[in-house]
Amino acid sequence: MKIALTGNPNSGKTTLFNAITGRTERVGNWAGVTIEKKEGEVKKSISKGNASIIAVDLPGAYSMSPYTSEEHITSDFVKNENPDVIINIVDATNLSRSLFFSTQLLELGIPVVIALNKSDLNKKKETRINANVLSKRLGCPVVETVSIAGSNNGLEKLIFTVIESKGKTQQIPFEGLAINKTNRSAIEASDKKRYEFVKSIVLEIEQRKVSSNRQTKQDVVDRIVAHKWFGIPIFALVMWTVFSISQTYVGPIFANILAGWIDGLYRYVEGLLGQGVSPVIKTILLDGIIGGVGAVVGFLPLIMVLFFLLALLEDCGYMARVAVVMDRFFKRVGLSGKSIIPMVIGTGCSVPGIMATRMIKNDRQRRTTAMLTPFMPCGAKLPVIALFAGVFFNDAAWVGTTMYFLGIALIILGALIVVRISGEQNSRSFFIMELPEYKYPSIKRATIEMLSRAKAYILKASTIILLSNVVVQLMQTFNWQFQVVAEGAQNTSILASIASPFAILLMPLGFGVWQLAAAAITGFIAKENVVGTIAVVYSIKNFIDTDALALVGGGADVASAMGLTSVAALAYLVFNLFTPPCFAAIGAMNTEMENKKWLLGGISFQLGTGYVVAFIVYQVGTLLTTGVFGNGFLPGLIAVISIISYVVYLMRKGNQKSLAKKAVLEV
Amino acid sequence: MDNIVVIIIILAIITGAIAKVVIEKRNGNKCIGCPHGKSSDIECNCDDF
Repeated sequence: MKIALTGNPNSGKTTLFNAITGRTERVGNWAGVTIEKKEGEVKKSISKGNASIIAVDLPGAYSMSPYTSEEHITSDFVKNENPDVIINIVDATNLSRSLFFSTQLLELGIPVVIALNKSDLNKKKETRINANVLSKRLGCPVVETVSIAGSNNGLEKLIFTVIESKGKTQQIPFEGLAINKTNRSAIEASDKKRYEFVKSIVLEIEQRKVSSNRQTKQDVVDRIVAHKWFGIPIFALVMWTVFSISQTYVGPIFANILAGWIDGLYRYVEGLLGQGVSPVIKTILLDGIIGGVGAVVGFLPLIMVLFFLLALLEDCGYMARVAVVMDRFFKRVGLSGKSIIPMVIGTGCSVPGIMATRMIKNDRQRRTTAMLTPFMPCGAKLPVIALFAGVFFNDAAWVGTTMYFLGIALIILGALIVVRISGEQNSRSFFIMELPEYKYPSIKRATIEMLSRAKAYILKASTIILLSNVVVQLMQTFNWQFQVVAEGAQNTSILASIASPFAILLMPLGFGVWQLAAAAITGFIAKENVVGTIAVVYSIKNFIDTDALALVGGGADVASAMGLTSVAALAYLVFNLFTPPCFAAIGAMNTEMENKKWLLGGISFQLGTGYVVAFIVYQVGTLLTTGVFGNGFLPGLIAVISIISYVVYLMRKGNQKSLAKKAVLEV
Repeated sequence: MDNIVVIIIILAIITGAIAKVVIEKRNGNKCIGCPHGKSSDIECNCDDF
């Protein structure tokens, strides 16, 4: 038996899907989170041992006449895939809008069961809905549900009703007019009649205590939080608080405990190996595998706390307000209003963020968004931020916050440049996003999100990072004659000989040593590799305890361990954050851009941006702190001027193309 | 003998890591380490509308 879960955006479809299937698909307290269909089997505990029921979670839709790509997926599925029953999730707090879509679903002839979701919110607002009358008027069963509740959520009753409804004939309470779909006025007239029908039902079944035209407390909060000027500093303050809690106060407490365990494991295995084992084999196991992976895993608590807090912010409805605040800036620079969604998703991981760009219709806007989404610091970049903030800036929360806002600034600047280069007219796009109501965030949901991030992080550390560290360790241990490099002669290793030419290019950025160049290169496989490789090449297994770093350097100054000044460390961080994130993200860019020229342009743009910004940070920072420019200023300046000149040349070329197009149109 | 035992352990760890990567890729996971890195086989054709 196959059931389709349909409903308006943010009506709670994926939350209900997760509750009945036990899956942990991404949910969010805002519209547009689901962009693809997802399938899962309904739990036997809910279906009471009935035959297998496959639930299909579909993207939100307002109408059966698709306007967006997500609506297209939903409309295609219910029309062509013949589900046995449709569960129409109706937001009980917004009946009139939700029932418009319900009446269209009822016309398909497939049995429909209405899940009157978010019923708990209505109780709080003292709004009453007569579900029995609604059921009679629509001619289908109506079940009240609260999909976020652990018990008494109505889900068992819902699935029981669904099983009962299979094979039954569906009544059609309202039949739309047979109209010509290309005739706009006929469509509007038909929709108007449907709205009148829905309105008559709502008037009959709903009793509201709060009238919709009264300004609520939520409206007052929104006037401040989503204000065009106050919105940005409030967002900065919120992000600073999030970074303070995760990286300065709460995160390090747990990270220290975990680092102690990893250290204990290292010593235990070291003790087990004894003197009989070859030093090379010992190094691969201890420094390459346990030390390298341990250094990355050591940041797990910081990342878990950060994602827990971000999940709370999203669930309470705040992130949707951030989308509104940022939307204004993004539209002005030629991005789609929808570009904000991939970028918010990209704070978790760039790959699903880039994949989410497919909902943007305009090719140029979709490709630009896919190109710029990786500038948002993703989960893989967080250990790099945490490492440098911890080691060089005393766990200062401003480092992470600044990187977020620098990422946003680069997105805006990048979009401006791309729109000029492409020579396309800046077409205004409209993005209507319904703001969800503020609510107390669900600790359970945030915990699930945090644990799923932790599981994925450990999986990555024990696969990609582990393999990379072993390769790095082997390349550092042997020279090109496959002889073990002598103590103090690491410069002759395979790794050093490959990384050294790149290190020369990085000298004007303040980190022209082969070890850091090697870490930056392995970072293209996965950004966590930057931490893992630094751990391997400097033989550090604990980044959380900064005393360990000081010992490696042989002095009290932690920064000297890596041969970096604080300014150079910041430049290195910027370089790693704003150059291409990883091969997986590049693969996703390739899929979504569908154009090799754009892909190559995108990668070059990211490399150029990382280089130029790191150069500015290092040279200006060194000038301000020491009074003179840093090493390699002149060759670096030539390189940066060349990059900028080429970009300006492309922009001028694009501008001429745009003027030529305009002239043709005028003629 | 000690060396051989440790080499076998290292090889087992590496083989396990490679096997996991291959399984994840075959399951359609485009990004190992992203909780939402899997994509379904539905592709939107934005030119349709």
